[in-house]
Amino acid sequence: MIDPDERALMEETVRSAIEGALAADEDADIDAVLAQLGWREMLRDEPGDAIDIVFNALGATNATATALDDVILSALGREPRADLAVMLPRFAAWDPPGQIDADHLHAGSLATARAATAGEILVVCGPASEPWTVTIPMTVLEVRRVRGIDPDAGFRAIRAQGNAAGATRLAATAWQSAVALARRAVAHQIAGATRAILELACTHTKERVQFGRPIARFQAVRHRLADALVAVEALEATLGAVREQPSPDTAALAKAIAGRTARTVVAHCQQVLAGIGFTTEHPFHRYLKRTIALEGLFGSADEIVLDIGRQLLAERRVPTLIQL
Amino acid sequence: MGQLAGSTIRGASSKNTFSRDGLQDSRLAIELAHYRAELHAWLDANHEKLAPPFLPPGTLDDHIAQMQRVKSILFDAGWMQFGWPEHVGGRGGSPMLRTELGAALAERDITHPGLYSLIEVLVPTLIEFAAPELAAEVVPRLLSDAELWCQGFSEPHSGSDLASLRCRAAPDGDARTASTWVINGQKVWTSLAQYSDRCVLLTRTGPADSRHRGVTAFFVDMDTPGITVRPLEMMNGNLEFAEVFFDDVLVPTDRMLGELNGGWSVAMSILPYERSSCFWQRIAYLYKRLQRLVDLAPHDDRAAEVVGHAYLQLHAVRARSRATQHRLAETGTLGPETSIDKLLVATAEQTTYDAVRRLLTGMVEMDDSAAGEVWRSEYLYSRAATIYGGTAEVQRNIIARRLLGLGSDE
Repeated sequence: MIDPDERALMEETVRSAIEGALAADEDADIDAVLAQLGWREMLRDEPGDAIDIVFNALGATNATATALDDVILSALGREPRADLAVMLPRFAAWDPPGQIDADHLHAGSLATARAATAGEILVVCGPASEPWTVTIPMTVLEVRRVRGIDPDAGFRAIRAQGNAAGATRLAATAWQSAVALARRAVAHQIAGATRAILELACTHTKERVQFGRPIARFQAVRHRLADALVAVEALEATLGAVREQPSPDTAALAKAIAGRTARTVVAHCQQVLAGIGFTTEHPFHRYLKRTIALEGLFGSADEIVLDIGRQLLAERRVPTLIQL
Repeated sequence: MGQLAGSTIRGASSKNTFSRDGLQDSRLAIELAHYRAELHAWLDANHEKLAPPFLPPGTLDDHIAQMQRVKSILFDAGWMQFGWPEHVGGRGGSPMLRTELGAALAERDITHPGLYSLIEVLVPTLIEFAAPELAAEVVPRLLSDAELWCQGFSEPHSGSDLASLRCRAAPDGDARTASTWVINGQKVWTSLAQYSDRCVLLTRTGPADSRHRGVTAFFVDMDTPGITVRPLEMMNGNLEFAEVFFDDVLVPTDRMLGELNGGWSVAMSILPYERSSCFWQRIAYLYKRLQRLVDLAPHDDRAAEVVGHAYLQLHAVRARSRATQHRLAETGTLGPETSIDKLLVATAEQTTYDAVRRLLTGMVEMDDSAAGEVWRSEYLYSRAATIYGGTAEVQRNIIARRLLGLGSDE
């Protein structure tokens, strides 16, 4: 792990590189910016730190990139590259997106914008405990751009049918590891976004004057923002726990807490941003839409909480997971 | 990381070189892991000796007697002294060793976490503000079974607004030379006052409107003539809190904690440990209560959702509390950010007992078995988690002003 000072410096570097690119061109190629910064090398050498830093910056700047594909590829032991996309699990779920029935493959799910430019896509199939992979040329797939709640996020809907003869077996825990790492990434992106949302809201309440004073002076407003900060800091603490004790369990909890945090922060901040926050003239709406889209990647908060609760009840055991 | 890994940003440090902080951190982790292993082995071996001799729920008298008995055993075996400095009779080491001990006692149901954590609240204050000879004399007495102490802060008219307190300490003669102070007034919410040998007391020594600038702390013997204790019955039937009346109570000047009119910093010094070590112990206990709930809950998806939700809250606050304690170890201080810990603990506690009510049908409401008594008492007590130690609203005010920079609300 990288020490805290160096980490802070790197966070700042990545964030200002992305902000600079977006300021020059709002459609800037953020994947190119990340490649320039050495994202794939760092992902290879220091995967945890690389994911934390880059995804936090993506969330904070509300930038669109396809780095999630690289995270999954590297977790599955593949060399990440720009012309290899990955099929994501179905929205709100985390089972492998593909199925194989007697050599016949069928899969239908989401992918990042990389699916629009890559030559091939990697599809993980089968039950999570017995995963297989197939790499399919994009030319034989149906690809549709998803507008959805956040058209800027660039998601693609994909359907694949075909022969699964070339499928290769993955280690039994490979998919679980990929899900854990992807959850860590998305949870960091949400953490970066919720901090940014809270900053927007605080700035607004200090500037907006009603009844002769900034609305930040009203306790009803202050308490909403305080509750938003409590949620953001709790999320950041659980991401710290993932860094200290990485495991599928700490990652699952962080992702669920990220989803809940996004809802809390968005609700409070939207309320205090009031009218201007409802317009497209204020950047808030972009963050709202992005966090809603992100919440469904690799398991929604509700689905993960249900899954965790079932595990606790089935094993009749409540593990503390982290020590002092 | 490409450019980031280059000489301009990462400097000369090689990737595998631990930072100084990293090294200290790993040493601490090893110290804690060793201590934990030895402690739990010892607690296992002495299980029968330490177990409460009464059946749950037990009265407050039972729990106090049990705590003193356990402190005595642990003190004689040397465990109570870990994590406290040598000049007050401790054995040194990280304060987190104390946290581990308190958490182990709570999760094994050996002592009541709320009662035990008073040690953590009061001893650091004595170490920081009492005359060294006084601290060296009395701290071992609290760590063993010789004494119990209480904390006299709140008053009938000073709850959330502590700086408005009125309990008056007047010098017998000139304030600069007086050898005795005379205390008159009333305290309330003084935990365990009726059992206590001493009290860390906040008094008004400045003008009536001097707020936090005119407060002085004293370490008062509870058997001093003029002190009257009246226990208050809580809604769960416990007499944990009390009113304390002071009528011309004489206290020697060498019992002043800190400076004359410096009592506010004494009051504030309590927060770092109250909100780190004590919270960790409380959280450890809540995990055990959730474990008990999981043992008894039905196996269905409604239960899974309720239990999963409570577990999420506990995990979040445990992660937060861990980070807080490591920050305290590194920097030696904590500030307004502990208001976040306070709100998270309160939420986790109330969520846990809400889960009990939702899943153990009728247990809290109608069950007169011993288990029902315990769940009911704890459920009712959990309702106060957003009130004691600074209300949730006061915490939000602090967060807004000090952490979010929203300025004054006046």
